[in-house]
Amino acid sequence: MPRMTEAAASIRKRHGSPMSLVGPDHPAADAGKTLEVRDLDHTYSVNGKTTQALKDIAFDVSAGRFLSIVGPSGCGKSSLLMMLAGLLTPSEGVIAVGGRPLTKPDPTRVGVVFQDASLFPWLTARRNVEFPLFLRGVDKALRREKAEEALALVGLERFADSLPHELSGGMKQRVSIARGLVQDPPILLMDEPFAALDEQTRITMGDELLRIWEKARKTIVFVTHGLSEAIYLSDEVLVLSGRPGRILDRVVIDLPRPRSLDMMAQPRFAELREAIWHMIKA
Amino acid sequence: MATRDAVLGYGAAGAVFLALWEAAPRLGWVDERLLPPFSDVAAALGAMAATATFWQQVQLTLLETLTAFAIALPLGALLGVLVQESRLASLIFKPLIFFVFSIPKSIFLPIFILILGIAFWQKVAFGVFSTVFIVMMTTFSAVESVREDQLRVARSLDASTMQKILFVYLPSMTPVLLEAVRVAMIFNFTGILLAEMYASREGIGNAIGVWGLGFQIKELLAMVLFVSVLAIGFNEAIRYVEAKCEHWRN
Amino acid sequence: MAYDQSVTQVPRGRDASAGMSLETKARICRYAIIAAVIAAWEIVPRLGLVPRLFLPSLSSTLAVLAAQSGDFAIQMLVTLQEVAMALVFACGFGILFGLWVGSTLTVRKALLPVVSALFAVPLVVLYPLFTAWFGIGSASKVVFASVYGLLPTVLGTAAGAQTIDRQLTQAARSMGATRLQQILWVTLPASVPTVLASFRLGGALVIVGVVVAEMMMSSAGIGFLLSKYRTQLNSPGVFAAIILILALAIGFDLAVQAIERRWTAGGGRNKAARRPADMS
Repeated sequence: MPRMTEAAASIRKRHGSPMSLVGPDHPAADAGKTLEVRDLDHTYSVNGKTTQALKDIAFDVSAGRFLSIVGPSGCGKSSLLMMLAGLLTPSEGVIAVGGRPLTKPDPTRVGVVFQDASLFPWLTARRNVEFPLFLRGVDKALRREKAEEALALVGLERFADSLPHELSGGMKQRVSIARGLVQDPPILLMDEPFAALDEQTRITMGDELLRIWEKARKTIVFVTHGLSEAIYLSDEVLVLSGRPGRILDRVVIDLPRPRSLDMMAQPRFAELREAIWHMIKA
Repeated sequence: MATRDAVLGYGAAGAVFLALWEAAPRLGWVDERLLPPFSDVAAALGAMAATATFWQQVQLTLLETLTAFAIALPLGALLGVLVQESRLASLIFKPLIFFVFSIPKSIFLPIFILILGIAFWQKVAFGVFSTVFIVMMTTFSAVESVREDQLRVARSLDASTMQKILFVYLPSMTPVLLEAVRVAMIFNFTGILLAEMYASREGIGNAIGVWGLGFQIKELLAMVLFVSVLAIGFNEAIRYVEAKCEHWRN
Repeated sequence: MAYDQSVTQVPRGRDASAGMSLETKARICRYAIIAAVIAAWEIVPRLGLVPRLFLPSLSSTLAVLAAQSGDFAIQMLVTLQEVAMALVFACGFGILFGLWVGSTLTVRKALLPVVSALFAVPLVVLYPLFTAWFGIGSASKVVFASVYGLLPTVLGTAAGAQTIDRQLTQAARSMGATRLQQILWVTLPASVPTVLASFRLGGALVIVGVVVAEMMMSSAGIGFLLSKYRTQLNSPGVFAAIILILALAIGFDLAVQAIERRWTAGGGRNKAARRPADMS
């Protein structure tokens, strides 16, 4: 795919400096680009009234990075995620995963975790996780094995036979993560996955997600409107403007890993938070 | 927006329906004796409307319907409020009322005839019986629809009982009460017509039954048309008021 | 106004003194009322407080039921056959149509107001038309009961289909489900509670429809028997027939409820669709 390589090069050129903080000296710069988004525009019309939702969106994400997308509500960050999932076709532009364009949902390349977990209430946790494999006609024994692996990864092997309504909000999201990862895609997209959880569960789930991420070595693109959450979890934060959503900046979170809650009290955390907050507010 | 869609919907559906009704017998798709074309039926209705008998029948049926309604509505509402008001009464009677509500009422009609004969009051009594449970059920939800948080606000503002009734209870309950009137009327009208069709010497229901036996399909359809227009007219009038209420509520 | 107390205040003192919860007391009261009604049914006619024509005693009713059981069974079988056929038409067609209307926005907008308006028409007036068209045999009953059960089934299903979580379809899509897979494995299972609720409502109406049609004009069926006993002024026969019809209606309802419970226990949701039917 020479065209995409060119595209990636042009992205790097355009965002090399000062927009992007991923310079050549950054350790991630040499890793393969898992996700590339080029010249993406999106407009939609309701009752004949045309609205521009996203404008000039271009970025890439290196393998194994944790990228958050933040922005004011209505900036189109969820739409952007739906496009990355292949669920929504952008008016203009190309999305490529692993060097190949993505035009429709492909769970072997991109797993998705939705805001409300979206588990099928009539299926057990295991059957929910098996579902994407079932759709592809994978045989039963392999399905079961894969699902159990994924459930073990999120620490829910003991709840494999529980139905969604028997699980807590946090557990449901973990099943949903397992479902997203069951086909071992390089990328996991998460659309405000913890928004419906209470504060305490949200923090625990954040740590849990980081643990899963370290272990599974996935690229995560995480949409949220919580700035602290974004900074706490991510390597980089993509900041979008209000409608039409444009990329205002890409902020590298240079806090050391593993992250811990006391980092939130550090001056660097406050600085980063302040900087992003200023961009969004403006 | 919604109203325009609704009007368009009605218009289109009504036009298609009438066109089919007119065309089917005219083009010989169905036997004209079994389904006379719409224009013939409308003409028959016009001719019927010129007779005194027609209006006597209509008047009797409407009188029965309205009498039953005038009894069932306040009775059901009163019983509903009384039961809902007391926790013990709710616990005792609600399951019973739910049960009676869910069983078919029409099959009790022969008992009404055994006891009351086939006179005016038998029809009214059956109408009340068919209606009163749905009114009670709707009253339960009307009282329940009064929101606790709004009441708390009113209490914290030291509202008087009158103010609470006027500004909290009534506005909350109006849509549900209107719904009660609307749905109760459907049950009520059906009950009265059924009673008239089942055993009676007069009234709309009786006339329809007699025409059915005598294969006077034109007259029968004319009366069905009249009854439908009456029922839909009442129903839509109440729905219009309901929609208006939604407006000022929001 | 006494409402505000009813919601918040529970007369705890009296409860404690009685040593049982209000719920238990209420249940005892309720059983007492039911027992009293049954006892009154037996005693009041026996004491001659009410003419036996108006209210035959429970024992005489049951005696007729036992004595004529063969007759009742034959007629019940006719009714059951008609109910079964009408169920296929009303619920089969009604549920499919309702799912289509409910899940298609444009159709819903155009048709729903029309369907709800038609809901107001007292459909009993159509029965004489059907007997003129189809005779007084089973066909007119099946047609009438199908029509009688159809609209509420359509409305109920359409309302339920609207509440099917679009997120679930989207999730399935994100996993690469084809359109057919979405319908088979997501839309269908998600609409089971709605379908069951509509089946329950439609079925209740179909039973009423068949019986009422039989009562009005027919030569067979349990409703026919009911009317025959009435014209013979055979009150115990009338009451016995009513008991049988009630048993049929309640039996059907309990059976569908049991299926519904199994499903909800199996994780189904959609509580809105399980509220008591608003017509029967």
